[in-house]
Amino acid sequence: MSDATPVSTAKNGTVPARHYQRRAVAPPVDVFENADELLIVADVPGVSNDGIDLRVENDTLTLEARRAAVEKAPPALLREYDETDFSATFRIPAGIDTGAISAETRKGTLVVRLPKAAAAKSRTIVVRSGNRGD
Amino acid sequence: MLTGWTDLEHTFRTFDRLQRRLDRAFFDWSDPALVRVRRAPRLAWPATNVFETPEAFVVKADVPGLGEGDVAVSVEEDSLVVRGERKVDAPAGYQAHLRERAPVAFTRKLPLPARVDAERVTATLTNGVLTVTLPKSKDALPRQIAVKAV
Repeated sequence: MSDATPVSTAKNGTVPARHYQRRAVAPPVDVFENADELLIVADVPGVSNDGIDLRVENDTLTLEARRAAVEKAPPALLREYDETDFSATFRIPAGIDTGAISAETRKGTLVVRLPKAAAAKSRTIVVRSGNRGD
Repeated sequence: MLTGWTDLEHTFRTFDRLQRRLDRAFFDWSDPALVRVRRAPRLAWPATNVFETPEAFVVKADVPGLGEGDVAVSVEEDSLVVRGERKVDAPAGYQAHLRERAPVAFTRKLPLPARVDAERVTATLTNGVLTVTLPKSKDALPRQIAVKAV
């Protein structure tokens, strides 16, 4: 994500307070598979398209989802949850076409599609009869 | 005055908690067969925050996956009631490897700490976050009283 705040280190080796990384939790996730693809569905409420950073490095898929910053919140009468960011890491199994991974958000959920590489899809081998004419 | 949400779906949650505690206390020595049924802790869903501004109450809840048709908001007498259902069916033809997103049906009721103007209540869904804004009724807003010296 382009607008992520880089964590810079001050001269004395400490991190300035305003650069502390915000707390992030792992979102609940469903993983599905069919013949053509793997499907990851994650609950990331409060995160818009721009807040999602999805990266593929070697065989690792890293998800970071940031909630829109809240302008100064009014006093709370009841607080059952913190508006945390989300982060998760997945190991991509062999046979995924990593170049073709795509993702979309809808209604606060993120759907990541990981298509299987053509070579990894199951193929049916036609069995021919070998005793031809003999 | 604000006593928090009443969770109509889980009226006996307190007893569930007590039972879990007892299960844990007896776990060491009792017949394992008796304590095998241990329910996972259930939290009220959806988790909700309530804010107060000078003019209104703002209720926010994370309801990922819910669309317009899946949630109903109503103001009943002195309470806000949010009902809904989240279905998380596996897509057709897919096999599941991991299921962490639970299907849930819920009814939550919030006693309102002051009169609200039911006509002007608005509810929006943005990126899976439900925001209900309940403007306070005129009677509930502070009124300046002129002090006269006599």
